[in-house]
Amino acid sequence: MDTSKPAIFVNGGLLPMHVQKRVRIVIQVLGSDRGAVIGKSTDDHQLTVKGTPPSVPLTNFVEVIGIADSEKSIQAEIWTNFGDTFDTYSYNQLCQLANGEYQLLFL
Amino acid sequence: MGQWVSPDAIAALLSNPKPDSLTDIPEIIVQITKLEPKGKSYGFDANDGKMKIKAIFNSRLSSEIISGNIQNLGLIRILDYTVNEIPSKSENYLIITKCEVVSPALAMEIKDEKNEELGEKKEESGIILKPKQEHEIKGEVKKESSGILLKPKQEMVAKSAAQIVNEQHRNMAPTARMAMTRRVHPLVSLNPYQGNWTIKVRVTSKGNMRAYKNARGEGCVFNVELTDEDGTQIQATMFNEAARKFYDKFQLGKVYYISKGTLRVANKQFRTVQNDYEMTLNENSEVEEASNEAAFIPETKFNFVPIDQLGPCVNSTELVDVVGIVQSVSPTMSIRRKSNNEIVPKRDITIADETRKTVVVSLWNDLATDLGQELLDLADKSPVVAIKSLKVGDFQGVSLSTLGRSIVQINPDIPESKKLRCWYDSEGKETSMASVGSGLSPSTKSGGRSMYSDRVSISHMTSNPSLGGDKPAFFSIRAYISFIKPDQSMWYRACKACNKKVTEGVGGGYWCEGCQKNDAECSLRYIMVVKVSDASGEGWVSAFNEEAEKIIGCSADELDKLKSEEEGSSYQLKLKEATWNPHLFRVSVAQNEYNNEKRQRITVRAVAPVDFAAESRFLLEDISKMKGSQ
Repeated sequence: MDTSKPAIFVNGGLLPMHVQKRVRIVIQVLGSDRGAVIGKSTDDHQLTVKGTPPSVPLTNFVEVIGIADSEKSIQAEIWTNFGDTFDTYSYNQLCQLANGEYQLLFL
Repeated sequence: MGQWVSPDAIAALLSNPKPDSLTDIPEIIVQITKLEPKGKSYGFDANDGKMKIKAIFNSRLSSEIISGNIQNLGLIRILDYTVNEIPSKSENYLIITKCEVVSPALAMEIKDEKNEELGEKKEESGIILKPKQEHEIKGEVKKESSGILLKPKQEMVAKSAAQIVNEQHRNMAPTARMAMTRRVHPLVSLNPYQGNWTIKVRVTSKGNMRAYKNARGEGCVFNVELTDEDGTQIQATMFNEAARKFYDKFQLGKVYYISKGTLRVANKQFRTVQNDYEMTLNENSEVEEASNEAAFIPETKFNFVPIDQLGPCVNSTELVDVVGIVQSVSPTMSIRRKSNNEIVPKRDITIADETRKTVVVSLWNDLATDLGQELLDLADKSPVVAIKSLKVGDFQGVSLSTLGRSIVQINPDIPESKKLRCWYDSEGKETSMASVGSGLSPSTKSGGRSMYSDRVSISHMTSNPSLGGDKPAFFSIRAYISFIKPDQSMWYRACKACNKKVTEGVGGGYWCEGCQKNDAECSLRYIMVVKVSDASGEGWVSAFNEEAEKIIGCSADELDKLKSEEEGSSYQLKLKEATWNPHLFRVSVAQNEYNNEKRQRITVRAVAPVDFAAESRFLLEDISKMKGSQ
């Protein structure tokens, strides 16, 4: 497992804390607009994901890993389909834990 | 009243010291004086006004004296007696074998015919010091001899008003005495530091007599719940002698005056009523039925729990009430109690209610035999039964059990009963119903709630060899199948009808001992051990057919087919595919003896797939619990 480039678990609310840093986020795909994917974070923020999506069609929920280039957008390097259902509540809790007192456990 | 000592009674007794028959005895009434205990019996001087004779009561009559029926200075009619001579003292003594009480204590010893009758209020001679007889004494009685009222040599003793009143009334009839001298105290005012009280209470609950054995020996005990006029309640317990003495006396619904009990702080663990104190009565306690109070058995107040909500009550200390239609009644069973080897009767009934769930209620002792028989006789009419104070256990998921204090009413006249009757007659009869326990017992196939209760790590079980010593301990775990030995005997040949192991039949086929039949075919059923692992460690578990099918992903018959085809590579593949899958397991841990060694045996009771969303929430809660306890 490649641990040289750690990415921080974020949701819409936590993304602004990590601009210019490597993050990972699960979004619900809303649509695409001028080559970028528009998605909704698990805490209902609208975000833009730039980069080249994979050739396979995207499922409802997708995780992207990349550099946050603004408070509301990410330059994605890795795209992973997460399927049609996702427990957003648990993911938000995970983000809180990963950014709170236990963040060292995640990096 | 007109009752008096028989003239020359003593002389009559002496003249016929050993009467041949009871009809031989004329009417003999004597007064008891100087009553005192002599070992197990009571001795006294029998007085007929003229003469006295030393006497003793047969020890069988001691209880009459203890209870206060036979009193000092009272009158008794002698029904059967013997007079013996003590040669060394040339004295006679009278043994009373049978008598009846004619009068309770008179005011004083009868002397001559000039004495008072019962009921006169007389000043005790001790109070008034009159060395010489004076005619200031008022009263209806004329005194002639100086010995009657006055005791010149008696010293004056200062007495309080309470004592005087007490002594004046001491010789009156017991109930009147109690009501007059002893003010009835409200239950709420009792405390362990003031012993001089009388209470007037109704018995609102009566437990069974139980035998017990402890380090100090054996005994019997029962208790009653007492309620006074204010509604305050207290539990009273009686052991051994006192238990035997009062068990028949205390009747449900009747009112009693009680005094000379002891109080102590109630043991919260066994407390059944709201009172800081509990009472103990011993053989010296006084219990008197209040004759002018009608017996009133308070209407039983129920607080019914619908059958489908019994799950959360399992193993709680709180008792529950239920009401339902009786679906079946078992015959009486005899169960041997482990604690003292006593045999107790038990009967199981199944009841159902509008929640479309059923539950089994175990009736014990009298409820099993008497009431249970009543239910059996009524069974085909599907009666309504309401039961108060049941213990909720977890046998087969949910089970109810009666206690000494449980109350059972058949077809009670309460609104719930009518509702149930309506429901059952219109739809309930036809509905198929499930046992409330089946969703909650460890053998549930869906996993359900039990996969999240008693969750432990594998190392919690394997590192604790004493688990499951008494009775199996149940846990749930989330683990991966880490290894399935390909060359173990994974299945047994089973009877297609009853699933029991079959042996090879004479002349081919398979023989089932249970069904006593030979069958050309048999089925294969899994019985295997697999290794499971989680973050804490690993362990071996046993799995039977249903659970193993879920682990392997096919039936034993199918796997056998794979095994026997082309070098068995598809067999190996099947096992490989089953490995490193996560599952939720419900397991039981027990101790087996093997070559004189105790070994832990973990058995899979249920398998369920991991629900990752639910599991995540479970883990998040676990984390917050850990955070909270820091």
